[in-house]
Amino acid sequence: MKPTIPFLVLGAASLFALSSCNKESSSETTTSGSGGPGIGTPGGVELVTELPKEVIEGSPAPKNIPNLAPKPKKFPTFLVPEGTVLLSKGKKVTCSDDYPIMGSPELVTDGEKEAGEGYFFEILDGLQWVQIDLEKSQPIHALLLWHFHGQPRVYHDVIVQVSDDPEFKTGVTTLFNNDYDNSSKLGKGTDRPYIESHFGHLINGKGTKARYVRCHSNGNTSNGENHYIEVEVYGTPE
Amino acid sequence: MNRREFLSKSSTIAGAGLVLGAPSVLGAAGSANDKINVALIGMGKQGRVLFEAMSNIPGIHFQAVCDIWDYNLNSGAGKVRALQKHMPNRYTDIDELLEKEKGLDVAIVATPDFWHSPHTVKCLDAGLHVYCEKMMSNTIDGARAMVHAMERNKKLCQIGHQRRSNPRYRYTLDHLINNNKICGTIVNINGQWNRAVSSSQDIQYKKSLAIDPARLKQYGFKDMHQFMNWRFYRDLSGGPISDLGAHQIDVFNWFLGCQPKSVFASGGNDFFKTREHFDNVMAIFEYDSAQGPVRAFYQVLTTTSSGGGFYESFMGTEGTIKTSEMASGSAIYRESSAPLWDDLVKRGYLRKKAAPAPAKKSDGIASYASAAPEEFAIPGVLNKQPHQNHLENFFAAVRGEAKLNCDARHAFESEAPIFWVNPSALQKEPIIFTPEQLQV
Repeated sequence: MKPTIPFLVLGAASLFALSSCNKESSSETTTSGSGGPGIGTPGGVELVTELPKEVIEGSPAPKNIPNLAPKPKKFPTFLVPEGTVLLSKGKKVTCSDDYPIMGSPELVTDGEKEAGEGYFFEILDGLQWVQIDLEKSQPIHALLLWHFHGQPRVYHDVIVQVSDDPEFKTGVTTLFNNDYDNSSKLGKGTDRPYIESHFGHLINGKGTKARYVRCHSNGNTSNGENHYIEVEVYGTPE
Repeated sequence: MNRREFLSKSSTIAGAGLVLGAPSVLGAAGSANDKINVALIGMGKQGRVLFEAMSNIPGIHFQAVCDIWDYNLNSGAGKVRALQKHMPNRYTDIDELLEKEKGLDVAIVATPDFWHSPHTVKCLDAGLHVYCEKMMSNTIDGARAMVHAMERNKKLCQIGHQRRSNPRYRYTLDHLINNNKICGTIVNINGQWNRAVSSSQDIQYKKSLAIDPARLKQYGFKDMHQFMNWRFYRDLSGGPISDLGAHQIDVFNWFLGCQPKSVFASGGNDFFKTREHFDNVMAIFEYDSAQGPVRAFYQVLTTTSSGGGFYESFMGTEGTIKTSEMASGSAIYRESSAPLWDDLVKRGYLRKKAAPAPAKKSDGIASYASAAPEEFAIPGVLNKQPHQNHLENFFAAVRGEAKLNCDARHAFESEAPIFWVNPSALQKEPIIFTPEQLQV
């Protein structure tokens, strides 16, 4: 079980050992995890998005997450094929919680990324997901995630998968997975846990063709719940 | 195991917060198996933080939720539903809640500061025990009214100075300062809460969720900006020295066991020019403590995070204890001339940390420097959210199993000097306290 409160102390030695190289994945999925998004598509154009204002509340980021990536200082430079557009704006969002605690699913793709009151969507604790229907299968080149950037917290078991199957039973590709101990039972991931920031978190889509994007999380270092302010999916329409 | 499973499987989990002193005779619930029925008054950011901490305490039933903003009300009710699997009753008006709800035991008040006193007094007069966030009020008379209501109704009223129930603070005071006197004679105190500009911005909200202007006016707010950012306004709060400083100046007074005899403060709108309250305040308190004179400096800055965040540092002739809610901000230093603490380490009272840095080669500056102090730490860690111990103490007191760690009278005595910081800064004059300025 991962920590849900800032003061919890981990058995650091054993957990750090997991950060080296874990290539296991669910037998039903293919994984393209890596240490970071890389540069994207050589010869492509730079991915640009409108960033929300940085507004930070609360305590410094927890230090007890193994293999934690440094907090970003700027939006990364990432190349995507010319003609790449935002596919997800206004698209339908569903989630694993029948009764969201705060907000509603459409906030995830409404284009508003501020961290203030009313901008975020909160669902239950434990492993939960939100799913975006892009309406048709298209090559995906990049995703940007903002869980909740008003506090320097870390979300556990961030796993991003894509598929043409709305049930995610077949043809699943995992684009990002930082579940270092497989506590979410979707396969161990090799990607690094990261601190939420107004820059969002960039994930390389690698041109994977899919209609549905499913983003998992499993609580965070400030509380047990799962939050989404915005998810942006960039690709080339077909 | 998620929280729902945790709660369903752990009805016997101990409320492991500190349980101190003689049992109260005011208990509303007979045993830990009896549900305590709670009304949540105010479900904004702080209300949700308190709810989160309470969700780990067994035996609580969240019966009703009240907030004037539908967004907060629905969010709070949603959190309660997620926890206890049924919706609480919802109200926008506290008077209606108190009139309609039967069987309530407790109110948790987390409204804006200027509503603390009216809401707490209403709830105490209605026969409820109250946990109210600090500061007690935006005015000293409002705080006085809360003490009177608590004593008039013979109900419990805990004020949310949560460090008073923090095991690290209590251990520091009881074992290190009082029993083992490792500071020697405390002569100075230094405390601060430095917050970066990026953390001091106006709180944003989604415009489509704005409250109806008539309702805002009914509850004392000019507009949504005031509602969201009431901490910036003089009629609604005491500003940063109250909002942030109250936590730590309370610790000064609690640890010394007395009130200061004077305050001299300076403040200004140095960066946030349009805010009513000073964005930066520095204050010097003078004490005649039982062990002698103590001078305490406190600064609250909302324009920089430099200087190490938030802490209180008790500086004595033999050692200094730096306390903080963050373990990383806590440290203990032995003066090189003080008796060794090896025995305290051997007995488990302290944990020795890094060896002092080697002395630099002699030069014109180093020859005047003091020897580097040895660094120590408190053994053990905290594994609870910051407010949980204080709430556990409150609910234990409601059950008659503990005394409050910070009842309204003691909170008032500690908070009273804080009410005079802004006046001193505004007048640019020291204030020598009279009994009338500090007493209930």
